[in-house]
Amino acid sequence: MTILRIIADVCIALGCFFALAGVVGLLRMPDAFCRMQSSTNITTLGILGAVIGCALHAIGMRNWAMLVKTLVIGLFFLATGPIAGHSICKGAYRAGVRPEREMVCDEYGRDEFDD
Amino acid sequence: MKKATVPAVAATFLVCAVFWLLITWSLDVQKLIAGAVICLIAALFSARFFVQGRPFGLLRPGCFFSALAYFLVIFPGELIKANWDVARRAFSPRLPVNPGIVRVPTALTNDCALNLLANSITLTPGTITMDIADDEEGKTWYYIHCIDADAESAPEEKGEAIKGTLEKWAGRIFR
Amino acid sequence: MTELLIFACIYVALALLACIRLGKGPTLADRAVAGDSVDALTCVALLLFSFYTGRGIFLDIALVTAIAGFISMVVIGRYLDRRL
Repeated sequence: MTILRIIADVCIALGCFFALAGVVGLLRMPDAFCRMQSSTNITTLGILGAVIGCALHAIGMRNWAMLVKTLVIGLFFLATGPIAGHSICKGAYRAGVRPEREMVCDEYGRDEFDD
Repeated sequence: MKKATVPAVAATFLVCAVFWLLITWSLDVQKLIAGAVICLIAALFSARFFVQGRPFGLLRPGCFFSALAYFLVIFPGELIKANWDVARRAFSPRLPVNPGIVRVPTALTNDCALNLLANSITLTPGTITMDIADDEEGKTWYYIHCIDADAESAPEEKGEAIKGTLEKWAGRIFR
Repeated sequence: MTELLIFACIYVALALLACIRLGKGPTLADRAVAGDSVDALTCVALLLFSFYTGRGIFLDIALVTAIAGFISMVVIGRYLDRRL
């Protein structure tokens, strides 16, 4: 059981590292779209590390109800993260948010579709 | 607007019931009856949005094992690689980003496969799908905001750099 | 099980750091993204606290927090797209 606990703690620590990277990127990146890219870092591995670690803790505690609920939370984040990111990114572009530094290439503004 | 068929409602009801059982985690008779009624109402209203194409298509063996391999092996590998890349960029003192929006083509035609590939691209850090559009010749294009975009190379090479092996597997799941 | 409490404190500290961007961000999209990050980090802190105390009720609260954050993000995105 001690080995399982150590593996679980390592997983949670890795999640902490990626969440820290996401927050640092959120504070340092130059424009809104790059900040969105960094926040994806939090909502994928920053959360999945903690979820996998907690699932291993639940296996060690023989508590199957908490294990299943933890996995449902992780699945929910994986399923809904891209929808929120896509929605907010397209909405920001349509609302006229442009970066201060020039983008390398902007092919969406060149031929934008009206639907 | 298309109508909901009976197999579509049954598939949606099964998914809802599985999630009800997982979240409540009890086999009490009262909870089971309440869950069945709520799942039936939810399935009747949402089946025509939830099921596109064949209702039980994912349960055919080829598609099922492709999906299992995709979600357990292929996709986590890409996720960890992209996460490490973006974390390195965030911690680097020079902040090496050159953002841009690129247009890449795709060979997929199925709606579900297109949606799965777009969501996978958005979920990997460093790339966000902004739009899917058809051009005049019927070819499908993704508009992707990319944290490290190259403006010079051809659209096919950009697509190869962004999509990697994901496109092949997405096409294999929804045949 | 004390290490779970320490990890939960780290996640809460990261959420407080993300609040800087929530207050400073020049556009609405910045604030929305920072708010989503705060929501996700709080959800993970609740998850870890639930395993520290061993009570399953906090997991339900974490699930509801995640759902509320997702719906608010989609609504803000549609508002920015002028399709609300």
